[in-house]
Amino acid sequence: MDKGIRRRDFFKVIGAGGAATATLAACADKPEKLIPYLLPPDNVEFVPGRPLEYATTCMECPAHCGMVVKTREARAIKAEGNPDHLVSQGALCIRGQATLQTHYNPMRIASAMQRQGNDFTPMEWDAAEAAVAGKLKNAGNGIVYMTGNVAGTRAEFLDAWLGALGASPKVVLDTLTHHSIRAANKTAFRRDEVPQYRIGEARFLLNFGSDFLETWMNPVENGRGYTDMHAYDESHGGKGGKGKFVHVSPHTTLTGANADQWVNVKPGSEAVLALALAREVISGKRIPGGEKERLEKFLTPYTLQRAAEDTGADPKVIKILAREFAQAEPSLALAGGTALATTEGTRTQLAVNILNYVAGNIGKTVRFGASIRIDPSSPYRDLSALINRMLAGEVKVLIVDGANPLYQLPASSKIGAALGKVETIVSLSSAWDETTRMAHLVLPGQSSLERWGDAFPQKGVFSLVQPVMASIYPVKSAEDTLLSLAAKAGVDAFSSTPAYRDYLREAWRKVQKAVGAAGDFEEFWRSSLQTGGAFRTVTSASSVRLDPAVFTEEPEPQPSMRGEGMVLLPVPSLRHRDGKGASNPWLQEIPDPLSQVVWDSWADINPATGKKMGIAHGESIKVTSPQGTVELGAYYHYGVNENVIAIALGQGHTASGRNADHVGVNVLDLLPSLSDRTSGDFAFLTTRVKVEGTGKHAGMVLTSDSPRQLGRGIIQTQSLADARAGKAPEKEGGGHAPRAHRDFYPPRQEQTPGYYDPYRWGMVVDSDRCTGCSACVAACYSENNLAIVGKTRAGLGREMAWITIQRFLEGKGDDVQTLMQPMFCAQCSNAGCEPVCPVYATYHNPEGINAQIYNRCVGTRYCSNNCPYKVRRFNYFQYEWESPLHMQLNPDVSVRSKGVMEKCTFCLQRINLARQDANEQGRNIADGEVTPACAQTCATKAITFGNLSDPDSRVSGMAMRGKKNQERRVRQYEVFPELKQLPAVTYLRKVTFESSEEA
Amino acid sequence: MSTISYGDVNEDILRTMERPKPAFFLMLIGTLTALIIGGISWAVQIDVGLGLSGINHPIGWGVYITNFVFWIGIGHAGTLISAVFFLTRAPWRAPVYRAAEGMTVFAVMTAGLFPLLHVGRVWYAYWLIPYPNQRMLWVNFKSPLVWDVFAVSTYLTISVTFFMVGLVPDLAAMRDKATGLRKLIYTFLALGWNNSYHQWMHYARGYLLLAAFATPLVFSVHSIVSWDFAMSMVPGWHTTIFAPYFVAGAIFSGLAMVITIAIPLRMIFSMKHYITDHVLQSMAKVILFTSIIVGYAYATEFFIAYYSGVGFERALFYFRPFGEPGSLAPFREKGSFSIPQLAFFLMVFCNIIAPLPLWRWKIRNNAAALFVIAILINIGMWFERFNIVVSSLQRDFNPANWGQYIPQPVEIGITLGSFGFFFTLFILFTRALPSVAIAEMKESLPPPNKHEAGWREFATERTED
Repeated sequence: MDKGIRRRDFFKVIGAGGAATATLAACADKPEKLIPYLLPPDNVEFVPGRPLEYATTCMECPAHCGMVVKTREARAIKAEGNPDHLVSQGALCIRGQATLQTHYNPMRIASAMQRQGNDFTPMEWDAAEAAVAGKLKNAGNGIVYMTGNVAGTRAEFLDAWLGALGASPKVVLDTLTHHSIRAANKTAFRRDEVPQYRIGEARFLLNFGSDFLETWMNPVENGRGYTDMHAYDESHGGKGGKGKFVHVSPHTTLTGANADQWVNVKPGSEAVLALALAREVISGKRIPGGEKERLEKFLTPYTLQRAAEDTGADPKVIKILAREFAQAEPSLALAGGTALATTEGTRTQLAVNILNYVAGNIGKTVRFGASIRIDPSSPYRDLSALINRMLAGEVKVLIVDGANPLYQLPASSKIGAALGKVETIVSLSSAWDETTRMAHLVLPGQSSLERWGDAFPQKGVFSLVQPVMASIYPVKSAEDTLLSLAAKAGVDAFSSTPAYRDYLREAWRKVQKAVGAAGDFEEFWRSSLQTGGAFRTVTSASSVRLDPAVFTEEPEPQPSMRGEGMVLLPVPSLRHRDGKGASNPWLQEIPDPLSQVVWDSWADINPATGKKMGIAHGESIKVTSPQGTVELGAYYHYGVNENVIAIALGQGHTASGRNADHVGVNVLDLLPSLSDRTSGDFAFLTTRVKVEGTGKHAGMVLTSDSPRQLGRGIIQTQSLADARAGKAPEKEGGGHAPRAHRDFYPPRQEQTPGYYDPYRWGMVVDSDRCTGCSACVAACYSENNLAIVGKTRAGLGREMAWITIQRFLEGKGDDVQTLMQPMFCAQCSNAGCEPVCPVYATYHNPEGINAQIYNRCVGTRYCSNNCPYKVRRFNYFQYEWESPLHMQLNPDVSVRSKGVMEKCTFCLQRINLARQDANEQGRNIADGEVTPACAQTCATKAITFGNLSDPDSRVSGMAMRGKKNQERRVRQYEVFPELKQLPAVTYLRKVTFESSEEA
Repeated sequence: MSTISYGDVNEDILRTMERPKPAFFLMLIGTLTALIIGGISWAVQIDVGLGLSGINHPIGWGVYITNFVFWIGIGHAGTLISAVFFLTRAPWRAPVYRAAEGMTVFAVMTAGLFPLLHVGRVWYAYWLIPYPNQRMLWVNFKSPLVWDVFAVSTYLTISVTFFMVGLVPDLAAMRDKATGLRKLIYTFLALGWNNSYHQWMHYARGYLLLAAFATPLVFSVHSIVSWDFAMSMVPGWHTTIFAPYFVAGAIFSGLAMVITIAIPLRMIFSMKHYITDHVLQSMAKVILFTSIIVGYAYATEFFIAYYSGVGFERALFYFRPFGEPGSLAPFREKGSFSIPQLAFFLMVFCNIIAPLPLWRWKIRNNAAALFVIAILINIGMWFERFNIVVSSLQRDFNPANWGQYIPQPVEIGITLGSFGFFFTLFILFTRALPSVAIAEMKESLPPPNKHEAGWREFATERTED
């Protein structure tokens, strides 16, 4: 065989040549200097087909959770929580999951731009920088820097940069600020800080208005703490139990819907209730010194009677509440959210501080000294002042970076006119938004997955941001742009650090000291990059005492509401917070778990109010305040006070791209420019509005049809007493089938022990832990390349969600109970879908998964018809990903074409990856080695996945399957047992309090 | 009864195939337009995707499957008349059986299109056919859809064979009369028929055998179609009554379609003395009978839903006539219209109430009244299938996933196209082949002999009971 070319050689040459061509083609047009320097861990080699993960920090909100970004072939494909991170501990919220779409946003700006009339034309980067530098040179005090992000070292960097140019101090824009908490703590305890709330340690949680499971502080950490406190725990004090959660507010969002009890109060009356509770609680508490007498005297006017009158709540309910709150050791009262953001918001916070103090919670569940260091955003008052400066023509150059004042501030603040008065607006925003459209020069920044940075969200938590992939577009990070602008403007303060990465590295020398890490800095830097940061647990809590100054403050009982009609309550959106995520298709398409509305705004009104006013559910209504009018759909929601209309923030964009523009309404248009009298926080709850029906259909799209489960037992509950006694409810399922029925047929093969060997993948969902936060849904969209279908198609029921959050209401009026739990393919052993497929496109694999072979599918849709859980999704169209969103697609999961059925497969690609490792090492996949995307991101650990064939796995212990475990099943149930699908996904019942039960 | 001689039969029937009148072309243009609309709709649907239809989650089957069941049902009457009534020697079958059999063939052809039309990837529809292939793939014989493939293709094969065999003596008659290309085709199709005694003997045996073959298909095909539904566990589908219920419904709707076709046919071709009122009223009796069976099936469904105690079934059978349960009213948008309710009441009215006048002899013998009732039954039976297919899926197990189904233009276009396809074929059939069986017609006539008058009397007695 020495003549000619051998077959093996031929393939070698072809293979190498092909690979080289592909590599060269991919790299060709990328300027070399823009490829960021990555520090891959040295013991890991890049293996094609293997994910490479980078630890970084989520920059979607000021909570800054640790994040691990999975990359494949140098593209970010999935964001997950960083398990080593002190704050997030492996979980991410829905917005964190969607970071990838912020990164691959189709509205990203690809080059420097300058305004030409109403349009923008691309320009050379250097020329743009020179133009901006020219403007900056002599503007001095006329330079204003407005940003949405001052995390970590950045704050100090910006101060230095602005100082070097002689500019005005930076302005940090965020609408959802916590200055009232700080101001109240300053008055009450002389501590100007946001304390750490240890929700997990409380036995009784009383929440005044905050949406702590959605946007307030760190929802991931809160969610974890909440389930620590609230989820049913068999070992709890030896007898099983759970903490109780009571929500006090005129409105319930997702957080309130999770509460065991909702106390419906008139808007703005929370302070009186808190003080009345304090009055009830104080008698049984030991408070040293003369403080008790002083407090009692101070609290004398706040009787139960008065609280009942002011709040409209039943005095009996308040009495029981006070008793429960006093008896729980320790309890915790939280206060926050827009429902408290009145002009007197600080007073309410003060009242709640007194309640916590009286109940002895300070130092236990409310800890000072270990503070959450929420970014020092500017209070609204300061923004108002800036707008006045802009209107006066004092601002020459306004640099906006990660802030969108034109959208985020109410129109009544005159921000539009103010921006018009600014000579030069420079935007460093990475994507188009309302404000950037008004800019004169645009030097687009990088996404948070492309740049360097850090965040210090809490004391002792130093979290790094590092690039996980090369920049999609040839743009610079905002910091690097600022550095070269400084150089071009003739400022040499930063000559030692020409790149922000160097600046950051230098700054982290201080971090090394702060965390007390000994040794070489290089080593510290490298390990920090690997783990995502440096952490030091801060446990010490400094004790505080009540400042007597409190007693001179008379808490205003009822803050005044302007205008006439219903009170307007704008609430932060779980999905869009205050509007940042609106251009992100996942967040638009994943329904709001409580209302199940997609791609829209809606107004929550009480059904009783609706009937009284003649407004039907789904009717388009006009909401008019002195500031403006919006038109949107009315949504019948039991969890809203009869005099309140609640609308979520974050929608109604006008220039943020086609996924956000004209979707819903911007409720800020209705608000006057008012702020908290003491703290300067923006006052959300200030306005009364006129509400009129139009008689038209609003065309809202809900992805869930019936809000009632009609006794079908999809989400089941169990009383605490029964759970404690180990008593399973008498009836199973929807009560349609007798509990012990005889089967006419011999057991199926799949039912015989040993059929699934060695794996039978299964899942247990604890309904008591699920808060409905929908992070799992976003994780699934991200992991499994789920298509986005848009509002009209979602309206026809064609959304592609493999997981849906099922939401059902029980009861009505103020006693309504909302039940939520995820529903995905149950991978049944006796599945309805499998026998009906004519071509074996869906079949039962030996590990118990109802595998779906997309390439084999002909598209008869019979499987979907025959699935009682309706968890299969059909591709009605050839769905496409708007560039560059397609770069996020997970290469391990096929992208489905039109005419094909698709469904959840327990993230089979992850199982197979683990199997490779296990096979190489000649062992079975260990318990916990595979985690599907949904379970991975769940902050409350509601989803447990594992091998049901392994009797020692965690999931087997929870599922308690099989005859021999029948007696031990207490909370275990399956959905529709009467259909005998033998699902591998089983549920644990939600444990509820009977009205007389105590925690 | 007027005197009809053998010669008249030949003359009258072959006359229907002579140079057509302009009205024929007008009708053909009409049906071809419908066919083209359907074709374009399908092409667009293949290109864009099934999303153009109103089919959604959870309603995976809609108008297409409704049409499939409807057309298969239509087909059954033909086989019933030609095979079953042949075996049972029903004398009134002779004048209509050819048209009915043609209808069967074309209806099954139309029906066969719908499984193709409704799948997501029609270009892979051949994967449902089990044949050895290099992909090493096989079909799932557990799936009723595979049974369907066999049922429909068997049915088509048998009915085409039966149809063609029945045509042989007539084709020979036409061959003898035709010229040019026509002659060539008819010669080929007539299979060398020379009207010999020997041939007639074999032919009669063979025809009987084929009729015996076809008879079970009348019952099996629609039973299998019904199992597409009954084998699933969807409430409203999962019922043991489905097979007989569907067969009765198929005969009911099929005979209504035969009447719908036969009345215009005898008017256009002035064949009143062949397709007599007696023939029509005989069919009307069968319609009345099957209407009662169908009505009984409706009632049984409701009773069983109640008696089984299964909540899902009860809820569905409450939903069909009455709509949403009251507890959901606050969460519903005002003025939402329930298509299933409309379908249900149309079904009950057209299939149970509308045939009631047929109890009267006068109505049965009134062609106009019969025609109206037959049309109503056609509509009613279409909505019966729509009701079964759609409303069951609309309200299945999980209330969170309930949905709404509204047929979209592409579905209406394709439905129209299916009628275009069927009637185009049928109209062409009336021109190309004798729509009344010449040979069998002659069989039912008195033979030409010297005792003609006596025979005529006998024949009159036989046909007017």
